[in-house]
Amino acid sequence: MPRGYMGKILRVNLNTKSLKVEPTSEEVARKYLGGKGYAVYLLYKYLKEYEKAGISPKDMDALGSENVLIFATGPGTGVPGFPSSGRYHVMALKSPLTGSIGSANSGGEFGPFLKFSGFDAVVVEGASETPVYLAIVNGEAELRDAGSLWGKNVFDTCRILRNRVNGKNISVACIGPAGENLAYMAGIVNDEHRAAGRTGLGAVMGSKKLKAIVVSGEEKPPVAKPKEFAEVSKRCLDALKTNAVTGVGLPIYGTAILINIINTAGGLPYKNWQTGVNPDAEKISGETLAEKYLTSQRSCWGCPIGCGRVTSVKSGPFQILASEGPEYESVWALGGSTAIKDLDAVVKANHYCDELGLDSISMGSTIAAAMELNERGYIPQEDLQGLDLRFGNAAALVEAVWRTAYKVGFGKYLALGSKRLCEIYGHPELSMSVKGLEMPAYDPRAMKGMGLNYATSNRGGCHVTGYTVSPEILGIPEKIDPLKAEGKAVWVKIFQDFTCVVNSTVNCLFTTFALGMKDYAELLSAVTGWDLTEDEILKIGERIYNLERVIINKYGYDGKDDTLPKRLLEEPMPEGPAKGHITELEKMREEYYKLRGWINGVPTKEKLVELEIEL
Amino acid sequence: MSVVSVKILLFATLRSKYKTRELAVECDGTLLNMIENASKILGLEFIDDVYDRKEGKVRDDMIIMVNGRNIKDLKREITLKDNDVVAVFPPLAGG
Ligand code: SF4
Repeated sequence: MPRGYMGKILRVNLNTKSLKVEPTSEEVARKYLGGKGYAVYLLYKYLKEYEKAGISPKDMDALGSENVLIFATGPGTGVPGFPSSGRYHVMALKSPLTGSIGSANSGGEFGPFLKFSGFDAVVVEGASETPVYLAIVNGEAELRDAGSLWGKNVFDTCRILRNRVNGKNISVACIGPAGENLAYMAGIVNDEHRAAGRTGLGAVMGSKKLKAIVVSGEEKPPVAKPKEFAEVSKRCLDALKTNAVTGVGLPIYGTAILINIINTAGGLPYKNWQTGVNPDAEKISGETLAEKYLTSQRSCWGCPIGCGRVTSVKSGPFQILASEGPEYESVWALGGSTAIKDLDAVVKANHYCDELGLDSISMGSTIAAAMELNERGYIPQEDLQGLDLRFGNAAALVEAVWRTAYKVGFGKYLALGSKRLCEIYGHPELSMSVKGLEMPAYDPRAMKGMGLNYATSNRGGCHVTGYTVSPEILGIPEKIDPLKAEGKAVWVKIFQDFTCVVNSTVNCLFTTFALGMKDYAELLSAVTGWDLTEDEILKIGERIYNLERVIINKYGYDGKDDTLPKRLLEEPMPEGPAKGHITELEKMREEYYKLRGWINGVPTKEKLVELEIEL
Repeated sequence: MSVVSVKILLFATLRSKYKTRELAVECDGTLLNMIENASKILGLEFIDDVYDRKEGKVRDDMIIMVNGRNIKDLKREITLKDNDVVAVFPPLAGG
């Protein structure tokens, strides 16, 4: 096995309660790295087996025992000196929210500590009849009864399980009530406040009655070329520390610093994306968060950036003694799209999302969609059961989060996500989602590359699949005009492919504000001992993106689904610097498909052969 | 040359350094003159914070938006008009 890996994968079958240890395959690792890439490869194999057994991918139930959940690290994860490598990737064959592939990423300590416990990845098959948790301590894995944990929130579950394990480097990834109750936007939360939030993977865990995974261990991943690694690691860490963004902006303000700049550019979605200008942005900005709520910062394992916020609300109805976040996306979803200007309430709602195990982006966006449905008179009042869902109502926001996690009253509908909610009330066009996944905080009418990225993202409306906000608004690595559609396709493709490399390494995407492909090629080469060039790692990224696409094609997703909500395609932005603009998706998508070697959202045979993808 | 009055908004570290969120400045319509006049209120350091004297232009790493449009995207000599809003951001990112 090349260095950087622990060399073992744990396969857990919850139907039979059996545990199997398998070697990590060097051949697969060389082609797909680890993390997301390795997981996509394994998921594809499951799908093929299912097809052989006569189970159609389209009919597979995301909450049935046939779904497979993978927690995966990569060759960079947990390697001391590998910048910001305290992350892991979770994938599922199918997301209950979208019906597409399930995919999410999280920081904290779980990723590295999973490796220290002896494994590169954990694959979970089947479903248990009664609640269980998985404990992996120094290479020994065991399924244990979780009856007394079922019903507990994320914070209590983390605390209790940490106390049950006697070892070093303990970390817990778990679900809260939202996951247990199969809310479609339930996330997996680790280390109290770090979430693999997106695509409803918490509900997949809940459907398997897997309450948590606790890991602990002391085995460190080996490095192939320690001398070379020390040099390139130092260079990269220095770059992160001296770079104005990763060395100053993110540590001081965290991600919420984006609120004002995205709003200034006219792309901060407001009132369920009716416009891109929020008149109260200042009240929920990163500057306000730093001034009034911040108590300290928190880093994920091995990260010199430390963008995590430790916060409190000192008094009032939303008082909270200690919390973390909210991140930019959460501030926007819970506070921007809902037009809530009371940051106290947003911090509290975000805290509850962590405590109950909910994806704050999909939660906030679904509440915003419900607010618009309600204000337009599309929801019968008896369905709301007293929940006063109007834009700007802070108390209703916090209440709605609770009701969703426990699926009580109108929470039953909210827990389905915005797509189903808007369909139920007869107005599917009001769901601001792509492939059923709620889009995050950037209106593509004001930054068109993001529109193409949202539309073509395999997991649905996602920003971190290909974050062209970076060149379009922030000018990193160079400035391009956000209001032009021309030339965006190539940026989107490269960003999507490179992001696959980062998510398969697995380390933090924020490093890419200061580090480039060359740095990644050198870091990965020194760790694994392979001689990887920039072109090669980019090809690995492209391979991963294409295989993931092959999977979602099997679910029926193709070019017709690589689109955006009507509002972004047809309603011109009503005000601000992007006034009059629509997304101009078609133009960009045509160029993108050409670059990708896809026809109508489906990779051609030639493309798959070129990428050495064996079907 | 006619005098125009513009609003400057400061963000992030610039805001905390100058303890100012916004200021009104009169200038001749050029960015340089706006920066010079702002520095009379904020202090001389402001010039070097946003302007590259050697290059004779606004610092490349600063994000300066006039009415929400980044000056790098406007690709022309900037002529400010009355009531223009000039937002000044230090390098920043998130996600
Ligand atoms: S930059 Fe932030 S999210 Fe990324 S690893 Fe560091 S602390 Fe975690």
